[in-house]
Amino acid sequence: MINDTLLMMLIVGLVVSFAILAVFIWGAKGGQFDDSRKMMDGLLYDGTEDLNDAVKKDEKIKKVKENKKSESTKE
Amino acid sequence: MYEMNNIILGSLVSKTRCDHCHLEFNDSVMIKDDNLNFCCKGCQGVYHLLKDDGLDSFYNKLGNKTITPPIEVDDDINRFDTKSFEEMFISTNENGFKQIDLVIEGIHCAACIWLNEKVLYDTDGIVSADINFTNNKAKIIWDDDEVSLSEIIKKIRSIGYNAYAYDASAADEQAVKSKRDYFIRMMVAVFASMNIMMLSVAKYTGFFTGMDEEVRHFVHLGEFILATPVLFYSGWIFFRGAYYGLRNRILNMDFLVSSGATLTYIYSLFILFGAKGESYFDSVAMIITFVLVGKYLEVIGKKSAVDTLDKIKGTLPLEAMVIVDGKKKSLPLNSIKVGDIIELRSGEKVCIDGVITNGEGNFDESSLTGESLPVYKKEGQKVFSGTINSDSVIRYEATKTYKNSTLNSIVTLLEDSLSSKPKIEYKANEVSKGFTVTILSLSLATFLVWYFFGIDLGFDYEGTNHFEKSFIVAISVIVIACPCALALATPIASLIGISELAKKGLLFKEAKYIESMAKADTLVMDKTGTITKGHLQVKKMRILDDNIHKLNLLYSLLDSSTHPVSKSVKRHLDDNFQLSLKDISNVKNVESKGIVAKYKNVDGKVFNLLGGNTDLLKENNINYKFDSTNTVYVFAINTRVIATFELIDEIKEGAQELVSDALKNGLNVVMLTGDNYSVASKVASKVGIKDFEANINPIQKAEYVEKLKKEGKTVIMAGDGINDSIALAKSDVAIAMGNSSDITISVSDVVLLNNSLESLLTAFKISRRTYKFIKQNLALSLIYNAITIPLAMAGLVIPLVAALSMSLSSLMVVGNSMRIKEKKY
Repeated sequence: MINDTLLMMLIVGLVVSFAILAVFIWGAKGGQFDDSRKMMDGLLYDGTEDLNDAVKKDEKIKKVKENKKSESTKE
Repeated sequence: MYEMNNIILGSLVSKTRCDHCHLEFNDSVMIKDDNLNFCCKGCQGVYHLLKDDGLDSFYNKLGNKTITPPIEVDDDINRFDTKSFEEMFISTNENGFKQIDLVIEGIHCAACIWLNEKVLYDTDGIVSADINFTNNKAKIIWDDDEVSLSEIIKKIRSIGYNAYAYDASAADEQAVKSKRDYFIRMMVAVFASMNIMMLSVAKYTGFFTGMDEEVRHFVHLGEFILATPVLFYSGWIFFRGAYYGLRNRILNMDFLVSSGATLTYIYSLFILFGAKGESYFDSVAMIITFVLVGKYLEVIGKKSAVDTLDKIKGTLPLEAMVIVDGKKKSLPLNSIKVGDIIELRSGEKVCIDGVITNGEGNFDESSLTGESLPVYKKEGQKVFSGTINSDSVIRYEATKTYKNSTLNSIVTLLEDSLSSKPKIEYKANEVSKGFTVTILSLSLATFLVWYFFGIDLGFDYEGTNHFEKSFIVAISVIVIACPCALALATPIASLIGISELAKKGLLFKEAKYIESMAKADTLVMDKTGTITKGHLQVKKMRILDDNIHKLNLLYSLLDSSTHPVSKSVKRHLDDNFQLSLKDISNVKNVESKGIVAKYKNVDGKVFNLLGGNTDLLKENNINYKFDSTNTVYVFAINTRVIATFELIDEIKEGAQELVSDALKNGLNVVMLTGDNYSVASKVASKVGIKDFEANINPIQKAEYVEKLKKEGKTVIMAGDGINDSIALAKSDVAIAMGNSSDITISVSDVVLLNNSLESLLTAFKISRRTYKFIKQNLALSLIYNAITIPLAMAGLVIPLVAALSMSLSSLMVVGNSMRIKEKKY
């Protein structure tokens, strides 16, 4: 019984940690850790103003892309 | 030291902080703006611009950190919109937007990144502006229907930074990819090793507290699952390295790591699937992880070197002004042919080598020779690419194409040397290499003896298969011996050595350089900036007229010149007196003699101001006798000499001690310099160097180092300038001074943070001591192995003995290495 519990714990532990590792690799492959200094200092820039800026930035990129798309379809 | 005639020139200078860049300057030179203080108009402009645009939270983010005052750039902004620029640097992405890679100059902290990104994103037409903080590179994507590149660059310049383009297609992308690949492999290895170690603690504790066979099997299974990706995914690069090594008939470190780890893995598999004994999956993971972390650091070093090269290439001009049929035409450098006439304006960089056909002027050759004093050149004399025309308009005939010109050759050579930096690790690990080859041979011999003669010799097979038992015993020989010798004897001592060196401000980029430094037989040193301080300093000052007003005029004249002598004298006055600037006019450079100007006082009386060497006085019929072997600066008003200064480039403290220590330890010391023979011989004799080469260019320096290496010497090179960088890259151990140029630091293996030669001497001492302990550790491992290997060969290694001996041998090596710290320097 104890051995079965130990085996279960080992399996669950390994599955969870491999899942975390997979997420980490996914982030690393996307270039999230390429700029180590920016990543560290990023913690200092998560105020309301910075979050609003990030949303505005995304909206702007979306808008510019849509504009370009509609321009090219018009042509 | 100073000769001054009873003058009191102001109280001690008080310093005030600039409200934009946060640098401190004399209060007298600050620009007052309400309650604010600015060091220059640039800082004032940027401060108000940020305030008006609602970006003043930048200063909260900046905190107490300092930044560079805004960079004034006076180049042609429209060149960013030219066809040749577009062809070279701009691409169009799949959405039809333009894309460029830039290097942003002037970035110091996260606040600078925030400001640049914020300003760029607020600009209409910019789709994406992603700035990398680590290397200051930016990828900008924009819609060219809405905004032009020159407008984007203007925007960046308006907030006090500068940007230049670089070609990201080549080495950069490869370096980014390789760094990311190594990072992921390393993180997988670190993750798995950490987990395996937790399981191993349980397993080893089980030896003493008792553990069910079934539980032990689970633990082995867990270790197997974790060690497999480490060996085959993270360790893949070692297999690849070993394969290429074998193809070239080299038994390299990769081969030793991969064979040791694989055999240990196979042995552990046998144990996992039923054979008697202890598995060593933990050793497999640890060996791979340790060595991989070292490799990753090497990759980071290479990546930062590529970044620095990109920065250098980004500052090179793309076009030059060529005279075609009497008319000036801006042509791309690659299209300029030998024989074309090129016009150089004041302050422009020479991009193609040639001979002056018209005009004369001073050239700043510091990037090639390391010398800070400009060189005067006239018709018929050669000009070299990379040097800067300081003060006049010159026409010259191209004698080489851009591809073959000095500067391009240097950049190409650096690129080549970065990708093929000699791998001294083959040489450095000779002891452990020979040792491991012996172990592999012993293991093979054990297998053969057990397999063919085992029964005759009466070995007990404990009921297992004949082949299986022979194999397990053979591998147990490797397992007992290899991991310890490979992973600990050298790295632990090196690690302690490196931390001792770091405490003294000596940064070793890799541990292997400690060993190379201790083994080296030749020390090559640059002169300017390495043996000497690299900048002129006022050694003697005579004030013949103590009128403060006259000294203010001297100060103003010095301020109008960019010549290194003027700058040094001005710095000296700044440090000692509180002087202010006066309005002087008609400032003129007199080629290689000095500078003249006029000053009109309140009564309208005009005075001639002269500042320069004694030739300038002679030219103006001022009879003043001044004999000195040093560089001289004399200041005169009309015909009267007011002040004289003698300047020298002093030899650094500790230079003589370093040279004598090196000679005492059997090193051959050589000095290489671009300076002339007489100065070189004076400096060499002062510090006790017998071998020196003067008047040599960066490429000849590198050739000299290569020649030494061909003679079989292990060469340490110490330098500080771009002119030393190729020679540094060619040497076995490259040492850069702390104030070196970026590229020099990038290609170096060791950086002396405090810039002193005393610390270089300490580096030698600590390296030699560390190397002594590495040898001791290897000897200890040999003794340990001499005892345990025969036991393993006889098949007598029981699990408890294996576990204990592995830990004991490690503790022995670690304990011995700690003794490196005992001696204080």
